[in-house]
Amino acid sequence: MSGALKRFRVMAIIAGVMSLLLWFVDLPVAYLLNNDDWKSMVAWIPFVHGWIYAVYVLTALQFATKARWSLKKTVWLILAGTLPIASFAAERRVVRQYS
Amino acid sequence: MTQKSSFLTKLGQTVAVLLVTALFVSLGLWQLQRAADLKESLKVALVVDTNVVPLESITSPRQAIPPSALNRTVSITGKYIANFKAANQKDGNGVIQDWESALLQIGDSSAILVVRGLWSERLLNPDIQQSMDIQIEGLLVASQDGDRARNVPGEISRLDSAVVVSLTDLDLFDGYIVAISEATRTESLERTRVVPEKLQSRIPGFYWQHLSYVVIWWLMAAVVVFLPFYRRRVST
Repeated sequence: MSGALKRFRVMAIIAGVMSLLLWFVDLPVAYLLNNDDWKSMVAWIPFVHGWIYAVYVLTALQFATKARWSLKKTVWLILAGTLPIASFAAERRVVRQYS
Repeated sequence: MTQKSSFLTKLGQTVAVLLVTALFVSLGLWQLQRAADLKESLKVALVVDTNVVPLESITSPRQAIPPSALNRTVSITGKYIANFKAANQKDGNGVIQDWESALLQIGDSSAILVVRGLWSERLLNPDIQQSMDIQIEGLLVASQDGDRARNVPGEISRLDSAVVVSLTDLDLFDGYIVAISEATRTESLERTRVVPEKLQSRIPGFYWQHLSYVVIWWLMAAVVVFLPFYRRRVST
């Protein structure tokens, strides 16, 4: 259980940082600014975010399974990785409950 | 009754797992198709076919340009019925200038946008009248996606037939022609021609990026299949 918790916490923080980059750097540059150079500089963000999120989902599923969470709670935990602040909040809540 | 409800629950879970797995597998297949389409469109971009073909032999109005028709040198005869300034256009050398574009009516029912040259040289051929037949040779290019300017009267925000569709009843061709030469029945029209911007795929992203998304979606499909067994193993 502690291994799964550690893995989830690490991935929640990394996924949170990547979500911040995606929402507040990549998306404004891609859709609000008309600058090809900047667009190419941030093109790696959605790609890396996609992979990080996939690993986040795996760690969230493993943690939720070991903690015997309900399907509804598990789905919320998975969705938390898509919003900038939600994965940090989920990580804090899990730490309070299980550490 | 309990046995029946347990069976129904299990059946429901199995169907849900199968549906979600099928969804993820389909998303993986979709990304695989996008990767293949992107590779195909970039292959077209690299091939420069200098044979001149009639426009209507490789594409039709009111349909998306087939990938095989992109970047082909086409010939067409028609009448200019409207002129537009296409501002802030970047050419193949990276130079940003205002271009002169015009709507060329072909026959009685169709039309296509043509980039004639630089906006600053638009008054070089004052003798051209709207009733004149102009024979054009040029490169057929995919419509632009992003706006370069605002849509105001006499100006178009991007080279895309969708921008002028409300101004005419004619059936519009997808894409536009970057003119290499223009001629009337009696003379050829001399002016500076623009070098088209390097053709980019209309499918965003990179080939390997789409392939990696295939891996992610199929990994998720595998996780969904494996998860019920994993839950059972953890609970025992």
